[in-house]
Amino acid sequence: MLQQVLQATASGVVTGCVYALIALSLVIVYKSTDVINFAGGEVVMIGGYLGILGLLYLGLPYAAIFLFSAALTFLLGALFDRVVLNKVLGRAVPGQSILVAMVIATVGLSYVMKGSVRLFPYTEEVRRLPPLFTGEPIFIGQVVLQLQDFAIVGIAVLVMLALWAFFSLTIMGKALRATSQNPRAAALVGIPVRRMRMTMWGLASAVSAVAGILLAPKLLMTPDMGVIVILAFAAAIIGGFNSLPGCIVGGILLGVIQNFAGLFFTSSAISVAPFLVIMLILTLRPQGLFGGRVVAKKV
Amino acid sequence: MLTKHIRHAFIGAAALAVLAGPARAADPGITDTEILIGLFAPMSGPLAAFGFDPLQAAKMWYEEANKKGGIHGRKIKVLIEDDKCNPVEVVSVVKKFITVDKTFIVHGGSCTAPAVAAQEFVTREKVPFVMLNAAGDGAVIPATRYVFGAFGGTQRTVGATIMEFAIKELKGKKIAFIAHDDDFGNSNSTTARAVAQKLGAEVVALERISPRITDVTAPMLKVRAANPDVIISTAYPAPAVLITQKYAEYGMTKTPIIVAVQGIPIPAVFAKNVGNDAALANLYYGSPLNDLTDGPKQQRWIQLYKQYYPDRTPGAFMTYGLPSAMAVTMALEKVGKDLTREKFVDALETLDFDSGVVAGPIAFAKDRRDAHRASVFIKFDGKTHKLMPGTYLWNGKDGM
Amino acid sequence: MYGSPSWRRFAPLLILLALGAVLPQLVPQYFLYLGNVLMMYAVLAIGLDLLLGWAGQFAFAHIAFFGVGAYATVIFQTRLGIPFAAAMPLAALLASLIGMLIAIPATRLRAVYLALATFAFAEGAQWVFNAWDHVTGGADGLRIPTPNLFGYPLGTDPRAFPVMAVVLALVIVATLYLTTSKFGRSLCAIRDSEHAAAASGIDVRRTKVVVFAISAAYAGIAGGMFTMFQSFVNPETFGFAQIVLVLSMIVVGGLGTLPGTLIGVVLLGLMPDIMRTAMRSLLVYTELVYGGILILAMMYMPRGIWGTFVRRRAQP
Repeated sequence: MLQQVLQATASGVVTGCVYALIALSLVIVYKSTDVINFAGGEVVMIGGYLGILGLLYLGLPYAAIFLFSAALTFLLGALFDRVVLNKVLGRAVPGQSILVAMVIATVGLSYVMKGSVRLFPYTEEVRRLPPLFTGEPIFIGQVVLQLQDFAIVGIAVLVMLALWAFFSLTIMGKALRATSQNPRAAALVGIPVRRMRMTMWGLASAVSAVAGILLAPKLLMTPDMGVIVILAFAAAIIGGFNSLPGCIVGGILLGVIQNFAGLFFTSSAISVAPFLVIMLILTLRPQGLFGGRVVAKKV
Repeated sequence: MLTKHIRHAFIGAAALAVLAGPARAADPGITDTEILIGLFAPMSGPLAAFGFDPLQAAKMWYEEANKKGGIHGRKIKVLIEDDKCNPVEVVSVVKKFITVDKTFIVHGGSCTAPAVAAQEFVTREKVPFVMLNAAGDGAVIPATRYVFGAFGGTQRTVGATIMEFAIKELKGKKIAFIAHDDDFGNSNSTTARAVAQKLGAEVVALERISPRITDVTAPMLKVRAANPDVIISTAYPAPAVLITQKYAEYGMTKTPIIVAVQGIPIPAVFAKNVGNDAALANLYYGSPLNDLTDGPKQQRWIQLYKQYYPDRTPGAFMTYGLPSAMAVTMALEKVGKDLTREKFVDALETLDFDSGVVAGPIAFAKDRRDAHRASVFIKFDGKTHKLMPGTYLWNGKDGM
Repeated sequence: MYGSPSWRRFAPLLILLALGAVLPQLVPQYFLYLGNVLMMYAVLAIGLDLLLGWAGQFAFAHIAFFGVGAYATVIFQTRLGIPFAAAMPLAALLASLIGMLIAIPATRLRAVYLALATFAFAEGAQWVFNAWDHVTGGADGLRIPTPNLFGYPLGTDPRAFPVMAVVLALVIVATLYLTTSKFGRSLCAIRDSEHAAAASGIDVRRTKVVVFAISAAYAGIAGGMFTMFQSFVNPETFGFAQIVLVLSMIVVGGLGTLPGTLIGVVLLGLMPDIMRTAMRSLLVYTELVYGGILILAMMYMPRGIWGTFVRRRAQP
């Protein structure tokens, strides 16, 4: 039994970091634009497929496909913001929320991405990107983990730290934070708000692409794998939708809770656990574990 | 838009009335030279892989019949619609076929829930509904007069045959069974458990998992703890791969594992996805076909398909579309020149033939509407396939 | 704009009722089926619009109440022997009660958290529909018995159509009264600024709970309507794709406007059939086209069709 609990925990941590990586990109978009990106999962999917394209068809070395995929998805995200969201925002009337329209636009984006990927018969079958690290599984006591699992956890933490450093320590990062907290004030001090937003979207998409390449070996690729975004939302909520480190903690908690639910209750409880946790957290502590005080926006 | 449709419908109906010839109380969709069939399947969206090629295969079969001069002088004309495997759309398509296009029968469906959704309507309208490649459990069991299906086998068949193979061939006494918590899982786990009980084996673990599951740690830990001597999975492709990977990771490869057909549409791709041939040392998979997907018995159909559709390489499910079309043409033959819907249904009920596509006979009866009850099993180690001896049948009773 | 709705606004409803009586004799069942689907979506969409467009509450538990309405209507008839005429209102009441219970904790949450919490509730409800198989039939679903309305059997499109039209008309009448009343004004006030609303004496919390309950009742009624002309209900019907569809309908049509909502329902409700017919040889592109339409609609008409062309919106 102890072995089972340990294994469930270890695997839960790894899966949790999967959710956390996707959640990071959702939180970046939310923090900068207040938009819930319903296409978040599809960007991960595209990132993964671009990785397959790079590795298996263009013959790029593994490290290069991260760059290849991240660069292309950065462009995709930035373009979407520049062309679509700008336009939507531009028609906003002060006093009326344009958020819902932006959210619907992201829904449209998710269908466009799914539909485009499905045009290729290659995607009809479930596919798998070969893992970054292959080799024999590692045994820690009786707990077994793959090398790829360590890569996932390691890179998730690294990305999170890099993003945290970027936002706290660099001028660009601070400018981006300023833009999201108070766009009008940011504009007043000369920050190019529109370009900042575009960069955020690009950055968020690039993070999703990295997530996609890490996760594709673990999760298997179909055009519909974007549904995992719901779990990423759950991870973000647990951690606090405003907090980047919260994503990791939230993700890990979610992954472990899911496995425990499956172990101690029934396997079909695994799929409902995230939703129960969301409702619980939002009822008891809406800002999540790391969300800090709930700041009322000026109305 | 609606008015344009209405206008078109009136014009179409008027035209048909004119073409139908002298006023005779004939069934709709039949003229002296034509039989109109409404053909539908998911042609786009997430489940297009299950419907696109099978529908084209059925169309191909009808073309072949037409080339030979049709059936008793009548050529088959098909109208094609995309249902996206969505119940609301299927009902919409079926109602359009029957009340606007006035087809003779409706032939289609690759998914079960939509078939059940359409069942009441076709029964009320007394229009024969022949499924394409849907398993259709809820719609054919219990049998109702006008709905015919399961040309590739119901999920009840899948569950019963896979359990029988596990016990009889692999000598399993303690079986672990992993199924989804959806309607497929309900059907296949029910018959599987009944067969296990009948043959004196014990189901030591029954894990019902979501089709969207991303981490199979918990169910596989429980399976391992139960110490089975055979593991069965009726999961879909992505979870089936995850299960197989964990099965290897947790050191269970000495225990045979059987993967049901829905989890392994293309074995070569499955093996690549698992990424570890050691995991496949004791792997078997089930199939309703009479040969490997690209085996010699299937090749004749694949070659025929390529003649008709040279730009498309058929997917794993293409041939699944043929047995239902064969049943349709055979029943039409049997009825003869004086064709009505009721006679067509009666003729279908008498069918019992070898399709040359699936492992067992396609057969109906007064109280039977699931056409196919057989499976074969294949041992697959990542490189070679070995067809295991025996064709396994569900007797239609276990688990009912 | 406020005060009792003028009698002129009821005129289109008479047309609706007339169509309800006459069309079943004239057109093939297929079109009646489409009409029934649209009328059901209309009630569903209006209910969501009350919550989202009028009260500004980003809540997405709507589909769960739709499911409760549908399942409860069937189960009250099959398990408790309650006749349809009572089962449907009771089911709507049940949905409304659950909506109220959810609203009490949920209304404390701000926009995105409210959205996610209610969305989680909807997913949880779908799981319950799937797992509670003793009552809901689980994944296998339930067959819907032919509803019997005071001796008049429904269940087929031609028979359900006039009744659906009547229900929709009643719903629209109720909505018109609701939105032009003081309550309607409170909703707009809350949407535009909760603080200002509270400052002017509106009990914000209570109003929010009430509108949640009312919106859930609408969804419950739509669920009952579902059972009038469909023969089978299963958990798949009440998932994410449905929420997105109804949301798209009201946003593309025009948030906070009744005509806008109805336009959105007709457009997006007929879209699959139109695309199926129009894109016969290009079926692989349907998903792409659908997504593209949503994106373009938001780019060029983010306030919806009605909001852009009529330039009017629920205003105090």
